[in-house]
Amino acid sequence: MIDTILASIEPISTLTLGHYLLTSAVLFVIGLVGFLTRRNLIIMFLCTELMFQGAGIALIAFGRFHLDISGQVFVIFILTVAAAEAALALGLVVLLYRRKETLDAEAWSELKD
Amino acid sequence: MAPMTLYTTCLLGAVGLYLLVRRPAPGKGPGGAPGGTAGSRSLKALGTLLALGAFGYLIIAAAEWIAPGEGGRPEVFYVIFSGIAVAAAVRMITHRRPVYAALYFVLVVLSSAGLFLLLEAEFLAFALVIVYAGAILITYLFVLMLAQQPADPDHPEGGAEYDIHPREPAAGALVGFIMLALLSRMIFMGAGELPVPDGEAARAAAWRQLEQMPQRLRAFIAESGDENITLGWGDEGAIDVAADGSAMVRYEVADGQRKALTLPEDAMPENVQSVGLGLILTFPVSLELAGVILLMAMFGAVILARRQIELTEEEKREAAGLRRLGHFDEPAAPEGGGG
Repeated sequence: MIDTILASIEPISTLTLGHYLLTSAVLFVIGLVGFLTRRNLIIMFLCTELMFQGAGIALIAFGRFHLDISGQVFVIFILTVAAAEAALALGLVVLLYRRKETLDAEAWSELKD
Repeated sequence: MAPMTLYTTCLLGAVGLYLLVRRPAPGKGPGGAPGGTAGSRSLKALGTLLALGAFGYLIIAAAEWIAPGEGGRPEVFYVIFSGIAVAAAVRMITHRRPVYAALYFVLVVLSSAGLFLLLEAEFLAFALVIVYAGAILITYLFVLMLAQQPADPDHPEGGAEYDIHPREPAAGALVGFIMLALLSRMIFMGAGELPVPDGEAARAAAWRQLEQMPQRLRAFIAESGDENITLGWGDEGAIDVAADGSAMVRYEVADGQRKALTLPEDAMPENVQSVGLGLILTFPVSLELAGVILLMAMFGAVILARRQIELTEEEKREAAGLRRLGHFDEPAAPEGGGG
């Protein structure tokens, strides 16, 4: 057991695209679960940023393994959109908070009806 | 790779996530024991173990399935960075205090910046730290401070009511399981066709980018004394990458003589230059659109903030206007005469 762990610590670069895709998939899914289960508006937006992270890792990994710089350029655009989204969404969250004095997403559930 | 193993791993991860985000067991009346009962605490520990174990197995031990012939052991830095990223992400969606969740998100950003470094995307790694950890997270922290909530009296250890009680944790975990099972199944199904890392091809691709920087090549050639040159040999491109990883620039001088010049190692475009080149040459319109998006976000933020002030002034005017209406009833005639 110890031998296995020690052997796995040796820096052998057998990283494939699949590794990075799995990491990005796991991050994306955690963000998705967080978005669905949390009720705090700010945390919900934070979870979308987590999903952006997963997508960004996947894009850069694809770009690296296909030797195409476009993956990194796409991540720059993701950063731009994330920054714009954070500025606008958080401004809206502050407006919503001033109106109902709560960050609870359920407080706005009458929009469903 | 057996699909059942994969699905079981995903299912265990989803169950672990469910145990972590589910509604805490009701304490014994208001002011119950901090941290919940011993049973709910051990369930939480089990959930942590399940989720982290399953996700860790998926992203680390799965190497055996992806690259069976090559020892299948991932690099140690990959294990460290992705492990920290996943653990911090789980903690982020389960922490009941929003400020701590934001700080755990910083940890996720830092470790994915480490993954970017492993993927040779140095510029984006630093841009990520500056933009996300520096700018976006500060915005989040400011909003969290603006919208501070009083703690729920039933839970003295802190956290507002809506931070403690989740919404549909079972459905959320189920959706997470389906999504994760689908994504990882697709990745494993295509694992045989995924490209493998190739350092030489990466070097050659970096060298070839110099073809898009003719000014730079001309500057190199000018140093060697040749003037009035044409890059490339007729149909052949300007850059010739040798098998040993070095590169030569091919050019013709004015009298048609073909020459080649070995490029020095530091002439290879760096990551920042490659990204900039891709941005400017391949996506110029998208670059302009990104600028427009940022401008619109700025205008939007200003308008959102202004509307709030106008609303309060309108309320003031409304409140004062009722009184003023009574005022204006009597001297209405001079106002009409003035108009």
